[in-house]
Amino acid sequence: MPENEKLPRGGKAMALLVTLSSFAVLLAAFVQVGAGSYEMTWRQAWHALTGAEVWGQPELLLRLLLGENVARNLGFGDPDAIATTTLIVWTVRLPRVLVGIMVGINLAFSGSIFQAITRNEMASPYLLGVSSGAGLTIMLVLVLFPALGAHLPLIAMAGGMGAFLLVYAIAWNHGTSPVRLVLAGVIIGAIAGSIQTGLFFFARDLTVVQNALAWTTGSLTGVGWEQVRMIAPWTLVCVILGFSGTRYLDILLLGDPTAKSLGMPVERTRFLLAAAAILSAASAVSVAGLIGFVGLIVPHIVRSLVGSPHRRLLAGCLFAGPALLTCADATSRLALSPVQIPVGIVTGVLGGGFFLYLMRRKQEFGRL
Amino acid sequence: MSQESATFTISGLAGNDLTVRYRQKQTPVIAGQTVAIPEGKITVFIGPNGSGKSTLLKTLAWQLRPEMGTVILDGRNIAEFSPKELACRLGILFQENSAPNDLTVEELAYHGRYPHRRLFESLTPEDSEAVERALQLSGSDRLRHHLISQLSSGQKQLAWIAMLLSQSPKYLFLDEPTTFLDMAHQFEIMDLVRRLNRELGNTVLLSVHDLNLAARYADHIIALRDGRVVAEGSSEEVLTVEILREVFQVETRIVRDLAGDSFYCVPLGKTCEQVSVKGCR
Repeated sequence: MPENEKLPRGGKAMALLVTLSSFAVLLAAFVQVGAGSYEMTWRQAWHALTGAEVWGQPELLLRLLLGENVARNLGFGDPDAIATTTLIVWTVRLPRVLVGIMVGINLAFSGSIFQAITRNEMASPYLLGVSSGAGLTIMLVLVLFPALGAHLPLIAMAGGMGAFLLVYAIAWNHGTSPVRLVLAGVIIGAIAGSIQTGLFFFARDLTVVQNALAWTTGSLTGVGWEQVRMIAPWTLVCVILGFSGTRYLDILLLGDPTAKSLGMPVERTRFLLAAAAILSAASAVSVAGLIGFVGLIVPHIVRSLVGSPHRRLLAGCLFAGPALLTCADATSRLALSPVQIPVGIVTGVLGGGFFLYLMRRKQEFGRL
Repeated sequence: MSQESATFTISGLAGNDLTVRYRQKQTPVIAGQTVAIPEGKITVFIGPNGSGKSTLLKTLAWQLRPEMGTVILDGRNIAEFSPKELACRLGILFQENSAPNDLTVEELAYHGRYPHRRLFESLTPEDSEAVERALQLSGSDRLRHHLISQLSSGQKQLAWIAMLLSQSPKYLFLDEPTTFLDMAHQFEIMDLVRRLNRELGNTVLLSVHDLNLAARYADHIIALRDGRVVAEGSSEEVLTVEILREVFQVETRIVRDLAGDSFYCVPLGKTCEQVSVKGCR
């Protein structure tokens, strides 16, 4: 290696990543807002999005953002009649884009953190039981306890977190290790996955099955401002937690003994970081179901561009996560119109293709 | 040899009555051993594989918790130090290390500042100074922008020592730092160790397999076998035919070089039931 060779650390690559990702998000957002089964011209869509009808009425804007109940409590009067295009853009299409952005951030962050704490590039947000726990509780509710359907998002979140704690408990033996955690995740995944599949046989009709499939493959169909409100605070919390944990994530990558010798309480740090990542993943699951591969490939792509130090990695994920998710969602909603397929199917196909590419290109991968 | 009773030492490092077991009910790896590490000196642990030298080293660095016994660091029970406080005083280089593929030497050195930084504190000029000094001292200055994954084993070792030195520790623990290196790099590491000791006054503890490196660089040698300290003292006192036979079960001849200021252990062969200088038949 030449003596003065400087590697492209961050800088340029990061600028490129941020620019391209932002462009992709904006493009996807614009397509999502303008296109769909309700026909409107691009001009109409743009007008509905930026026009005075919403922006000129702060009460209406707040009513959308905060929800009917809050608006009523604030003493807002009934809104004037709104044009159908505006209504569709603002209550159906725009929130879907926003939810997509936040789900993308959460999954990418969660994936980055799990890849660091398990020191494995193939780790995904669902590795430590979130998918198993959430998936199982979703099926239980849909098939056996349909009365609880209204609380499904919260129940899914709780299921995911419960499974994570169970995984941790199984892995614990005078402390944990990356390998034990992954194994425990596989154990819980195998058991919960089987039961979950078994529950399909008890489904009463096709709607239940389709609904269950949408949840377990991940879909943004039908999300609105309620889901925006549900995921926004968690996203904020997770972003803050993620960025305050970057130094710890970097040091965990040096291995447990070294991290410990540097004075880091390894077990406590790992658990707290894992808990933050689980919160992140579970909040994404609660609004969008189990969207696969995003949390796996986004950190991969970002790392190959800006390197593994987590400040840069997470900053990159903040842009690349939403880019992948919004583009995939636009595809899933519009490609086979009028049929909307779950976005998780698109990300799965993309993810498989990406790994094929990785496998062909890289000599060695997996270990971090 | 006069050694103060470890408990009353104001500064320095000592282990009292240490017993270490990896699993319950197994034979202890270290069995009730008491050692005092001379301050400001290079102490070398020697012993065959499985003699417990790494274990003792890691226990004295408080990376392993003894089942019984205490370690006294600078007049305090080492258990009373917070992990970060401890990491500011002692740094340890493990036998095997791994870093992400795309980490540079400089970035690794900055990780050594971890124990000096608070939760949300950003890097201070003091941190940068310490890292610069560490890179210079360890001789990894010119490698700073290189990826650790692309360095040779010797250069890697220097990079990790740079991280250690960034901690600005008073005590340096090196677990077999020369094992995987060629001769030139072994000398490079050991010369560095000596320089750190002589110029900065660091107390250094290390384990090696090569007795001649021990003979050449050690101020104090501790010889272990089966978890017990068999002998300790200066290299002349410890590296004798009798002690080496007891510790390694190997026959040796001790040879002085012509200048007379150093000596070498020439291994002759494995010790048999009936001792024969020609080795086993």
